[in-house]
Amino acid sequence: MSESETEPESRPLGPNVRQTAAEMATGDRTDTLLQTDGLVKRFGGFTATDDVDFGVAEGELRCLIGPNGAGKSTLLKLVTGTYEASEGHIYYDGHDITDLEPHERVQRGISMKFQVPSVYGDLSVRENARLPIQRFADGAERRERVDRAIEAAGLTGYEHVDASALSHGQQQQLEIGMAASLEPDLLLLDEPVAGLDVAEREAIAERVTRLNEEEGIAFVVIEHDTDFVASIADEVTVLHNGEIFLEGPIDEVKADPAVQRIYLGEEE
Amino acid sequence: MATDAPPDGGQSLAARVRARFEGPNTIGNSNGFWVGFLVAVAALVAFPLVGNAEQFSLFLVLSLLGLSLSVVWGYTGVLSFGQVVFFGLGGYTFAVVSINVSTPGGITAAVLAGVVGGGIGAAVLGYFMFYGGVRDVYVTIITLVATMVLHTFMAQTAGSEWTIGEAALGGFNGMPDIPLLKLGVGAASFQFMYNAIPVWVPGFGTVELDPFYYLALVLLVGTYLGLRALVNSDYGRAMVAVREDEDRTRMFGYNVKRIKLVVFILGGALAGLSGVLYAARNVFIDPTVFTLLFATLPVIWVSVGGRKSLLGAIIATIAIEYIRVTLGGELALVMLGALLLGTILFLPNGIVPWVHKQIRQNRPAPADAEGPETPDPTEASES
Amino acid sequence: MVNGINLALQFLDSFAFIVLAAAGLAIIFGIMGVINLAHGEFILVGAYATTLSATKLGLPLAAAMLVGTLVTAAFGVVVERFVISGAVPNWIGQRTVGRDFVEPLYDRLADSMVATFGLSLIMVQGARVVFGNSIDTVGTPFGNIAYGAFSYSTYRIVLSGVSIALLVGVYYIFTRTEYGMTARATIQDEETARALGVDTERIYMATFAIGSGLAGLTGALFAPTLSMQPTLGDQFLVEAFVAVVVGGPSVVLGTALSGGVLGAIQAVFTNLYGTFFGRIALLAAAMVALRFLPDGITGFIETVQSRRQEGE
Repeated sequence: MSESETEPESRPLGPNVRQTAAEMATGDRTDTLLQTDGLVKRFGGFTATDDVDFGVAEGELRCLIGPNGAGKSTLLKLVTGTYEASEGHIYYDGHDITDLEPHERVQRGISMKFQVPSVYGDLSVRENARLPIQRFADGAERRERVDRAIEAAGLTGYEHVDASALSHGQQQQLEIGMAASLEPDLLLLDEPVAGLDVAEREAIAERVTRLNEEEGIAFVVIEHDTDFVASIADEVTVLHNGEIFLEGPIDEVKADPAVQRIYLGEEE
Repeated sequence: MATDAPPDGGQSLAARVRARFEGPNTIGNSNGFWVGFLVAVAALVAFPLVGNAEQFSLFLVLSLLGLSLSVVWGYTGVLSFGQVVFFGLGGYTFAVVSINVSTPGGITAAVLAGVVGGGIGAAVLGYFMFYGGVRDVYVTIITLVATMVLHTFMAQTAGSEWTIGEAALGGFNGMPDIPLLKLGVGAASFQFMYNAIPVWVPGFGTVELDPFYYLALVLLVGTYLGLRALVNSDYGRAMVAVREDEDRTRMFGYNVKRIKLVVFILGGALAGLSGVLYAARNVFIDPTVFTLLFATLPVIWVSVGGRKSLLGAIIATIAIEYIRVTLGGELALVMLGALLLGTILFLPNGIVPWVHKQIRQNRPAPADAEGPETPDPTEASES
Repeated sequence: MVNGINLALQFLDSFAFIVLAAAGLAIIFGIMGVINLAHGEFILVGAYATTLSATKLGLPLAAAMLVGTLVTAAFGVVVERFVISGAVPNWIGQRTVGRDFVEPLYDRLADSMVATFGLSLIMVQGARVVFGNSIDTVGTPFGNIAYGAFSYSTYRIVLSGVSIALLVGVYYIFTRTEYGMTARATIQDEETARALGVDTERIYMATFAIGSGLAGLTGALFAPTLSMQPTLGDQFLVEAFVAVVVGGPSVVLGTALSGGVLGAIQAVFTNLYGTFFGRIALLAAAMVALRFLPDGITGFIETVQSRRQEGE
């Protein structure tokens, strides 16, 4: 993976940067759910994300696009705390969460589905679905929540099947269901439809839209397929070489010649 | 430990008790298994009538050490070469305390001190590692190095400056003056070592039975059942989730570091108990418990038996140690090496889960579905 | 003054020992993701092959050492084919039951540790069965140098020179030869390397052979100074292990630096408090290093470097 030396001369400041860190810290504005401030992550000598100011409003559904190696997954993993930031800060719901452990961030309402579906294959669908719920719910409430999570994932009737026996699309649904069962305020999805067929993509799109509109969960979705992006999101952020390249409505971004160049350059 | 199984008015107390010991994290959730389990326990109870109980008690004691690794490595995914560190700490602590206070009450306290000592050792090392962000194979290497440190250290304690109270650590010569194991206080105590009890058994006449053997057996069976209940509980499911994928388990809001530390401490205390019994049984302990070979034995038992199977750990410990002791010498070690190599290459999940799978495949399916939980999936997995 | 010389010689001795013990293990760990717990026994093969060709075949010591190195490299190839890659069992499997028996041990760190420990048991006890509890040794060449009331084996000073030459040689192999280039490409990204037509299986086989050969060379070089027992590998394993994990991902630089740092610590503590504490200090330093520098010394250096570049 070579890092291109050329950088866009001037980075347009996206509409997404809603407030400064100072505003965030004083809690002046409340509609911003997540805001990163100068976020940098280095792996050895390689800089995966570089000075990223990325913001998400409450209830927003934002897609994150960009060529391979742009730093998209890294950014999400910094937000969840899976990676520790080399520099910069992450504010969530008015608090600086940069130094919190991953599980503490989850308990504050951030949840994530990783790129590769990694349901616990040895366990049944029901046992998988129970795992996030058993931490905070007991008895009848637990049963109810597990039932609901399974139903929402469209897996009723599959409760006692080993998760490894599910199709790829069903595993993605189960994973999203497990993440959503924590009732987060912000759900991060890393490539939820990679490798799925059209019907499965539509099912996921519908699911994400419903969770967003009905339960008010804010989403950040990493996705390559611009048609899928257009079907769920209004706003997109383009990441390139670890930096925010462009932000705006999907149609504008798609039409931007610089964005097209990044993608074409990557395919050749 | 509440399960989310549908409430079932018809369920008997026995079924509900049994449900605590069953689940996808252990093999053997059928009636057939529990019948077999009772037969096996009965056979172990009767074993001293026909076999050498004094020798066999060693295998039972070491099985506890095997179980300690199974729960740490097999269920939580932390491969520790350091179980013998806590085993040795337990044994040495027991020796030091009991030599200094050799009354029955003192010896009983020494047993507890040994278990706590193993647990504290694991807490210190575990906190140092897990809360320091050390992961994966580096944990394994640190535990291996910790073993070497203790071996090097204990080996040089021959001098008189290495005396704690009346107890000399003794360097390579070890500690030979450990008092005989007594549990209880004052008159209400019982001596478990060298105190064979004559018992009249129908068909065998009067037989001398070794109480230490039965102590070890009770502790082993109790520990096995306790760990089964643990790994099939909510906490056990979280442990297995940590083993399968730490990052993902964090994303469900679990404090993975704490889970690993808690299990590591439990494993350390269990290894400490095993070490206490080992020192009590041999009335002796020396630095050979910290050698590389001894450090690797638990890994061998658990690998061969099946790391994700508590039962496998016990069966393999007993079988391998029996072979090692009875064959003796170079040949036994060559066989042990070949067994280890062969298992990792050809049956990476271990022998007992493999046998279990064969049994399940050659049997009509419904037999296993009668538990209150779901039918358990096969133990085989990708790792 | 005399104590200063003692300390310097002690350091050179520790440095040479650590570097020589670690080099083979570092290469195999760094490139293949295999932790070879039988590393000490590969050193044993080199030491025995050297000693036996000198004492039984009457070869001159230098030639015997070459034999020891080559025999161990060849032995490494056999182990790689049968155990590490599983190529031979799988070849048999494909021809008999039509499927692979074995999953290669590449990047299965824990499994490779357990499997190679099994191998090490077989080798130690095998050596005992075949050769008995000890074999005759060859004498240490070059005699001693005396200073003050002390004297010191010249050969051990030669060894520290050899260890530096060895680091240079390994550096040359990995930066200047075609094998080295492809091997490094394979570490970076195995998939891509394979897509570009690199025969990664051959790279792994060659890597294991080179790593084994270096272990054999270590055994050959130390053969004149050790008593020839089947357990002689044990004394190398710990230092090798510690040096590799403290060194970090960069094989040559990591081994050199950890040899330097750990050698210095061991030398100072040995000099002050005796051999036991030298060893304990070495092990304790390793544990602390693992805890605070999880990517080893070279990983730490890379981070510092990149941070400095950012600052400019």
